[in-house]
Amino acid sequence: MRKSFALVSLLAVAALAFAAPVFVAAALSAPLHADDAPKALAIGTAIPMADQKMKNVDGKEVAVADVKGAKGTLVIFTCNACPYAKAWEDRIVALGNEYKGKGIGVIAVNSNDPGKVAEDGYDQMKTRAKEKSFGFPYVVDSTSNVARAYGATRTPEVFLFDAQGKLVYHGTIDDNSQDPEKVSSRYLSDALTAVSSGKEVPVKETKAMGCGIKFRA
Amino acid sequence: MCLRIRSFVPLGLCLPLLLAAAPAATAPAAAKPSAQAAAAKPGAKPVLTPADAAAVKQAITAPGAKAVLVNIWATWCGPCRDEFPDVLKVRKDLEAEGLRVILVSADFVEGKADAVEFLEAMGVDFPSFIKVGKDDEFVNGLAKEWSGLLPATLVYDGKGSLREVREGKQSYATFRGMVEKVLKDGSARSGP
Repeated sequence: MRKSFALVSLLAVAALAFAAPVFVAAALSAPLHADDAPKALAIGTAIPMADQKMKNVDGKEVAVADVKGAKGTLVIFTCNACPYAKAWEDRIVALGNEYKGKGIGVIAVNSNDPGKVAEDGYDQMKTRAKEKSFGFPYVVDSTSNVARAYGATRTPEVFLFDAQGKLVYHGTIDDNSQDPEKVSSRYLSDALTAVSSGKEVPVKETKAMGCGIKFRA
Repeated sequence: MCLRIRSFVPLGLCLPLLLAAAPAATAPAAAKPSAQAAAAKPGAKPVLTPADAAAVKQAITAPGAKAVLVNIWATWCGPCRDEFPDVLKVRKDLEAEGLRVILVSADFVEGKADAVEFLEAMGVDFPSFIKVGKDDEFVNGLAKEWSGLLPATLVYDGKGSLREVREGKQSYATFRGMVEKVLKDGSARSGP
């Protein structure tokens, strides 16, 4: 019993250090989270499924590897329907369009099953991308497996990789979905600024409330 | 991060994360949170008090409960609506055993009327909360183990220690199992 307590403590400390409490749960075999909850990519991880082609709103097949930028790559899991994705949409598009011109490859991925949410159908995606002037691909993750590979669970949820393709930022856009005027921490913007100038990202992981990705079965 | 988990609860439920949606967006007004909102009278509109993470925590740690289940939901969230009756059922079934259920709507501020309407339709006759303030502060302030996904269910023991976090839609059996484990541990507590 003593030994297991020591182990538990050690694991708890290790997990704290990595800020990944999911691991604590797994190690204790009494999960704080449900055991099938996806685990998001750890900072430093390479781009998963980078060569997976996905259908873009322009009809062409695009992979993350195809949009990779000289300075970094931003992968945005988003959708049409989620109120949080909508609230942040203009800011996401503005950042994507801005940094696309600064050596960052940008791609928005919709992993939702349109069978569950009609608003996330391909035609609706095309309309949205046009309406909001997406200056980057908005693609269909037709199996939701790309989201699974990233351990993405919410929309919007972003993953920023550096020039070497290693994850340097994961999380939300900023600290106020509802009011752009009241934002005080611009997490994604700060991360993009850092990566595009070859610097270390100040805040590497953030969280936010969001809609769950509606995974295909 | 004091997580005292003593026994294993078998988990068999997937988390198909299905969310429906309705548009919404604007600023939350800074609100004065109150942990003890006035009790709703039968037939009265459900009381929905603005709260940040600190206010919700205050309600969690208020004395008198042996187990506390916090359910964070939103009217536009399909799985939240789906599981809602089961949250209410577990409250009804285990309240006498010492369970306190705290409902927190994550609807945006202008969605408050929708939230009140939903609570009324569900027959909620006890006070609950609507989240105000910054999202990440709310999520981290309540539970570092919570990713922010809705719905979320957080189960605490009578001392206010977080015991379990579930994201996505859960069943009655899961809600009940989480609460009963805490109740059982609480009554069997004999050592550190």
